[in-house]
Amino acid sequence: MPDKKKIWEHPWGYAEGFVIAMGVLLVGFALQIFVGNIHTQVYRYPVNLLIGVIFTTGLFFLYFSAKNNKIIYWFATVKATVPALIVSVALIIIMGITPQFSGAMAEHKGAHKLFSIWGWHNMTTSWTFVFLCFYMLFIIGITILKRTRQPFKTQDIGFYLNHIGIYVALLGGMLGSADLQRMKMTVEQGNVEWRATADDGKIYELPVAVQLDTFKIEEYPPKIVIINSNTGKVQPEKRPETYLFYGTGKTAHLAGYTIQLLEYLPQAGVVQDSLNFRYAPFIMDGAASAIKIRVSGADVTTPIEGWISNGSYMFPYHVVDINKNHSVAMAMPEVKKYVSQVSVFTKKGHSKKANIEVNKPLSVENWMIYQLSYDEEKGKYATTSVFELVKDPYLGVVYTGILMLMAGSVFLFMTGAKNKHV
Amino acid sequence: MMKWEYFIYFALPAILLWLLGAYNAWIKEDKKKPTIYTIAGLIVFFMFIVGMWISLERPPLRTMGETRLWYSFFLPVAGLVTYKRWGFKWIMTFSTILSLVFIIINIAKPDIHNKTLMPALQSPWFSPHVIIYMFSYAILGAATIVALYYLVKRKQLEAQENNLLNMADNLVYIGISLITIAMFMGALWAKQAWGHYWSWDPKETWAAATWLCYLIYIHYRLHAKPVAKTAMIMLLVAFISLQMCWWGVNYLPSAQGRSVHVYSKQ
Ligand code: HEM
Repeated sequence: MPDKKKIWEHPWGYAEGFVIAMGVLLVGFALQIFVGNIHTQVYRYPVNLLIGVIFTTGLFFLYFSAKNNKIIYWFATVKATVPALIVSVALIIIMGITPQFSGAMAEHKGAHKLFSIWGWHNMTTSWTFVFLCFYMLFIIGITILKRTRQPFKTQDIGFYLNHIGIYVALLGGMLGSADLQRMKMTVEQGNVEWRATADDGKIYELPVAVQLDTFKIEEYPPKIVIINSNTGKVQPEKRPETYLFYGTGKTAHLAGYTIQLLEYLPQAGVVQDSLNFRYAPFIMDGAASAIKIRVSGADVTTPIEGWISNGSYMFPYHVVDINKNHSVAMAMPEVKKYVSQVSVFTKKGHSKKANIEVNKPLSVENWMIYQLSYDEEKGKYATTSVFELVKDPYLGVVYTGILMLMAGSVFLFMTGAKNKHV
Repeated sequence: MMKWEYFIYFALPAILLWLLGAYNAWIKEDKKKPTIYTIAGLIVFFMFIVGMWISLERPPLRTMGETRLWYSFFLPVAGLVTYKRWGFKWIMTFSTILSLVFIIINIAKPDIHNKTLMPALQSPWFSPHVIIYMFSYAILGAATIVALYYLVKRKQLEAQENNLLNMADNLVYIGISLITIAMFMGALWAKQAWGHYWSWDPKETWAAATWLCYLIYIHYRLHAKPVAKTAMIMLLVAFISLQMCWWGVNYLPSAQGRSVHVYSKQ
């Protein structure tokens, strides 16, 4: 190359870009080592709002007071952007490989000292990560401001939507995380609960209460499998086969055996007399489901008949042995949906009745109530429901950014790459 | 009732039609025949997808095998679109071969297919989220083919070079716009299902890395004499990150037992 320039000689290029991005990284690492992880409580409202406003107005101020400054302009180029993005990807890849723990479980036994020191097990609250995000925001901000100097063209809409979108979403998401509250609440059928447990194990009284009126679980039909009687593994081991039951009179083919489905009792109980045991209808809580089957197959000389059942908290499961190694069993049915019928009350005196299920949360004042889980030991007879209550005051900000990015993508899709290299 | 065992009876004719299309693209200047053959193959293949959809009573999008199905379908679509737009004779051959690889994986290693769909997946977001992702993966797969072709044939390209780089740019722009839309649809869905739009779960982390990798490429290509070879290597790295996000993450220590996105293991 004829014009080899020294580093820091203008115009700056990729070399300077990498040095600065690495500098940001190193300052972050240094702070991480000496100060430790960032505690999100530190920048709760109004601190986060202040940071956001000061950072953004600072960008404007810097840009307009340093008009035509070579260095400020340089930040609005790909020479700054690409290195910053590369360093960020490197950090995100580290995060993608190392297990991440939330603040409360920082002492998790999977943590490795060598990684903890750099904050790699709690990446999103490490100084390095936050610094890099701010450096990125700085570049994006200056880039947007610089663009406003060009006469406006319609193609610019995509540029503005994408860049303002990422700015708003990233800043809002990062600073807003301090005010994000997630609580777990366990409610027994018929009871009212005002208290919930936060991530750190502390119990809080909330301005919303949940009364669980009824809790319902719907299950898929049972599944039939052949298992290895010694290990319990579903056969054939390399490629386990299952048969989803959908009516009697049908035949299932599993792992080389033919299974006729003779009788089905969705709610069954075990009846035992002196000679043998059988299943009979049992219409009460604790009932199991049972299917009468007839098995035949290559190494079965006379077809074997018997009942299989997946059991419940009252009855044991039951399998039909085919030979020394193989049995027919009924796997635990998968849950189709679970619904909590609730009445919610607020300290302000509002109340309403609603159904809450997965993917259908309930919004009450500033809180969203999610169906999280239930008493899994009792399965379909559970009477305890577990909710998650989430309050995220900055959600609107982040959604604004996300919607701008999605709209910006539509523009990107339509305009495509410019043909400037041809 | 459509069954997974019938897959080969649809896949084989589809592959043959796609190969005929690709072959015709090599020998004919006219684009009509290659287009007709490829579309015929796509229809045959799509019939299997629809059949599975009906008999499973849910969209076939849950297991890895089911998403591979869509990938095998969208690759020839991406190949055809690229061929129609830029007229490269070889692109459909490559997309067909890549599609064939995924078909073979699905025949050799089918997943267990049953009708159950866990509550978190029962959402109107589910189908658009995964289908748009698979389509963007296919487009970015095509961009990767372009990059590989460039890196191998670099010395003999000459006049073709600019056209090739321009094609890579356009594929990446289309691919990343789709990825962005699918990713943020996922975020809106996650808020509804799990209470937060982004949890830095390993799968989400790799999605972010992949997104940024393609952003690097876009920005690198924007200004002042980018080195073509560097740009094409960036595309390869980005595609590796994409594979990590799609399936590699299931094997990572960071995801063991804690990723909410690992559905296919039972
Ligand atoms: C992640 C942080 C991002 C940074 C730091 C960044 C930075 C930049 C910079 C410095 C430019 C050059 C602008 C100019 O010289 O006029 C630029 C242009 C561009 N950026 Fe970004 N960007 C980011 C995110 C995005 C996103 C999310 C997208 C879209 C998905 C995007 C798409 C573009 C496009 C299309 C241009 C070219 C605009 C044009 O020349 O018409 N960028 N970006």
